[in-house]
Amino acid sequence: MTVMDPQTPLETTAERREREKRERYYAASQWTLIWWRFRRHRAAMAGAAILLTMAFLGLFAEFFAPYGPTERNRDYVSGPPQVPMFCDQNGCSLRPFVHGTRTVRDPVTLRATAEPDPETRRHVAFFVPGEPAMLLGAIPISTRLFGLEDGAQLHLWGTDTLGRDVFSRTLYATRTSLSIGVLGVLISFVLALVIGGVAGYFGGLIDSAIQRVTEVVRVIPIIPLYMGLAAAMPKEWSSTQVYFAMTLILGLFGWPTLARRIRSQLLSIRGEDYVLAAQLAGARPARIIGSHMLPSFTSFIIVDLVISFPYMILSETALSFVGLGLRPPAVSWGVMLQQAQSVQVIEQAPWLFIPAGFVVLAVLAFTIVGDGLRDAADPYGQAG
Amino acid sequence: MVRFLAERSFGMIVTLFMVSVMVFFIMELPPGDFAERYAFRKFSGTGVTITPADIAAIRAELGLDQPAVVRYFDWISGIVLRGDFGQAYAFDTSVNNVIGQKVWLTLGLLFATLIITYLISVPIGIYAAVRRGGAADYGLTLFSYLGLALPNFLLALVLLYFANLWFGASVGGLFSAEYAEAPWSAAKLWDLMKHMWLPALVLGWSAMAYQIQTVRATMSDEIGKLNVTAARARGVPETRLLLKYPARLALNPVVSTIGFDVNRIFSELPIVAAVLGLTELGDLLLKSFLDLDMNVAGAILLMLTVVIVVMNFVSDLLLAWLDPRIRLGG
Amino acid sequence: MGRLLEVENLTVSFRTDEGLITPVQGVSFGVDAGRTLGIVGESGSGKSVSTKAVMRLLPVSARIGDQSCIAFTDRDGARIDVHALRPGARALRRLRGGEIGMIFQEPMASFSPVYTIGNQIMETIRLHKGLRGAAARDLAVEMLTKVGISNPAARVDQYPHELSGGMRQRAMIALALSAGPRLLIADEPTTALDVTIQAQVLDLMAGLQRDLGMAMIFITHDLGVIAQVADEVAVMYLGTIVEQGPVRQLLKTPAHPYTQGLIAAIPRLDRIDNRLTPVPGEIPSPSARPSGCPFRSRCAQAILGVCDRTPPPLTRLGGGQSVRCHLHDRARAVA
Repeated sequence: MTVMDPQTPLETTAERREREKRERYYAASQWTLIWWRFRRHRAAMAGAAILLTMAFLGLFAEFFAPYGPTERNRDYVSGPPQVPMFCDQNGCSLRPFVHGTRTVRDPVTLRATAEPDPETRRHVAFFVPGEPAMLLGAIPISTRLFGLEDGAQLHLWGTDTLGRDVFSRTLYATRTSLSIGVLGVLISFVLALVIGGVAGYFGGLIDSAIQRVTEVVRVIPIIPLYMGLAAAMPKEWSSTQVYFAMTLILGLFGWPTLARRIRSQLLSIRGEDYVLAAQLAGARPARIIGSHMLPSFTSFIIVDLVISFPYMILSETALSFVGLGLRPPAVSWGVMLQQAQSVQVIEQAPWLFIPAGFVVLAVLAFTIVGDGLRDAADPYGQAG
Repeated sequence: MVRFLAERSFGMIVTLFMVSVMVFFIMELPPGDFAERYAFRKFSGTGVTITPADIAAIRAELGLDQPAVVRYFDWISGIVLRGDFGQAYAFDTSVNNVIGQKVWLTLGLLFATLIITYLISVPIGIYAAVRRGGAADYGLTLFSYLGLALPNFLLALVLLYFANLWFGASVGGLFSAEYAEAPWSAAKLWDLMKHMWLPALVLGWSAMAYQIQTVRATMSDEIGKLNVTAARARGVPETRLLLKYPARLALNPVVSTIGFDVNRIFSELPIVAAVLGLTELGDLLLKSFLDLDMNVAGAILLMLTVVIVVMNFVSDLLLAWLDPRIRLGG
Repeated sequence: MGRLLEVENLTVSFRTDEGLITPVQGVSFGVDAGRTLGIVGESGSGKSVSTKAVMRLLPVSARIGDQSCIAFTDRDGARIDVHALRPGARALRRLRGGEIGMIFQEPMASFSPVYTIGNQIMETIRLHKGLRGAAARDLAVEMLTKVGISNPAARVDQYPHELSGGMRQRAMIALALSAGPRLLIADEPTTALDVTIQAQVLDLMAGLQRDLGMAMIFITHDLGVIAQVADEVAVMYLGTIVEQGPVRQLLKTPAHPYTQGLIAAIPRLDRIDNRLTPVPGEIPSPSARPSGCPFRSRCAQAILGVCDRTPPPLTRLGGGQSVRCHLHDRARAVA
């Protein structure tokens, strides 16, 4: 004990350490606090890791996927997954390998089917040459992360009914589905900002009118509404056009929840002194909303944005699944699942359901990250 | 109370009007119009060449050359005044004929789904809140996360697979083959009930997951409230206490979101119907969107939305009946 | 015959995410029939937890120490060991409401908003008096009349939100007294009310206590209120009773620095020119309890090397007053 603090007449070292920790906590910025709290939410951290991994794999699909999304292997149609192994009945090898395939014709139906040939071995290799492709649309590459020696094809998750590699397609689909989610959320965010901002800032008659419109959008069942809009897309549109139209459709009706949040928050702080001060200083409404009012609840907006991702992803998947969304050659999780519409597929080619696993995983991850963020962003939360 | 009713009724009518405009807009959206699609459909493959003049003739006959506002009022007045939804080109008959009794089938499915949803989610949510932190609670939390993450068509497929495995192949659809075209009878109704549980479970899945979370959250809040402690302090037995005080209030958010649940259920209806082979409005809606038979699609979309709006109204009434603070304007 | 309620060495701890915290540590108090005990302390001092323990109203995460004893003598003269009762026991249900009534700080929150106040009062009457229907209703109306609610026959069918704050607290008192308990625990019953209403409710309670001859435990953070209602007073700080004694003597000659601080913080009409002197600092959280004397982190007279080492023992000062403070510890003074 050297200096006596008048507020704390007696303080042991442990207590001082405790107090300093507390002071550091009080001095931390809002975002640092949110990050500290979020970091302690283990499930949410895991969810975030899953999403980042998915985004990374999707972004660099040209490198991670051994084959292109529409490349067909006519010798291995509806083929089951090939799991690399180290041992078979002919002994073991230090390098993982898969068996080669041979085509046999069904004696009755005369249909050609692929069948593993246990006598041949194809070794798995890394950084193998592949078709030239553009990484991120700009960097030309002709190397793949992995593949088989001698140009034979490795189908980790099997092939679909046209002989396309499910693993590669899933990676490309991840990119499409996630990016549709991102664009859809962005569009609905901008709309929510404008609509909720106007309603909440001006209030009164404008607000009531906007509330009525919001009510209408909220009341029409959303997937049938999306279907109606998607059905209107001309048949001759290219898959790129359809892709952007889809993001627009999803974004166009995703705003009500967020707009409502922004509106009510704005309404509640509309009368605060600092808003009045900005108004008296002659700032324009857009500026007052943008730089004075929104920052007070940015964290809530981010939470709402994260939480709205699953709806986008599920809607896109559902629409593509029934043929009203993206169209081939575009590939998304929903497009891939079009091949898995019947119970027979579960019995005959269950690997076609792998993209569904990605849908569930992505939606779960987004939901859990959203929950974690909400807990972390809540200043009155228990976690401290 | 009278004022409350009047306000809500007026709001409902305004909403319905705007919904009908929106639906009409969607009906007008696809490229080309009814006359073109009708003509192509009717004469394609018959060797007859269609000239623009033929199409113009059909257009004039059906009044499609009028401006959109006039056509909207023709359409909506037909529905409101005569209950006439117009022509279904794909079936070459009236929309009313195509839809027919499927409306009742759909409503039946809706109510079956709602009943199953609430019968399952309310007790489970209450139980989870009472046993907060227990293994059952964590299991349910996990389930409700999954419930929100699993696309319903996937759930439908999985359930269908297991149902086929355990109960034989007769599970899909709404009727067994022998009853599909049969007139209504007690046996047919029973057959319908036997087929209804699977689609009801699938349709109610996400509503269930959502409601379990809501009931659990409200119940947890309510259990911690002073009025529960106060009731305990006057010696009310525990089970009765939980049911009379917190559980009663945990019903409020459920009742107030009935409209949302109906919306959610109808939203999933077309896709679930496609997977499960249900012959009702959802299935018809999807088919008519794919065929661009917009009169049928618009009629169904409007009907579904009307049901949602009405259920919203019912939910408001129920809530007012349940909660004196709303009823008495507190 | 012993005291009506006797609490010995009560310790309550909670399991939390941050480990075991103990908001009440070795507290002893009691109350005789017809008398009033006042418990004073800041929020977080453990006064509510102690009385909730008496009613077994603590959440399941709470543990009452093995050495603790809570004994209540019921109207048949039987001694009930409250701590030993099973959670669903009949005796416990009879105790709650029937023997001990309780009123809380927030009259609005202590009524369920979706039932009429009559419904909730009659529930108590049905449970403890065995009256049903019109008889129960008549008694409810009579109780409302007794607590000074005008037009009770109409009020009985009203919902809590239709009553004013003071009315609600009167109704709550009617509810707590409707089964004729012999002890009333009032947990800050006037804190949420306006000052004028506060005085009315205090008067009402004092009058009812006289008429019904029941005992009362009155919890408050306001020593001024205690001076009006209590016979005896216990001052709590961070889970322990730091000073206890007859109310007049304790207010006149407070021994503990904390009690002295509290008395200095009472607004007084004769010193209106002076500023109020609050007790400096904040009450530490039960998870960060100071070593030795719990009050030493805010005590201006703390003795280095003593107060932070050992908890002060109980010292009897005569006249029924006792204190836990090293400044009064004669054993230490001798040594």
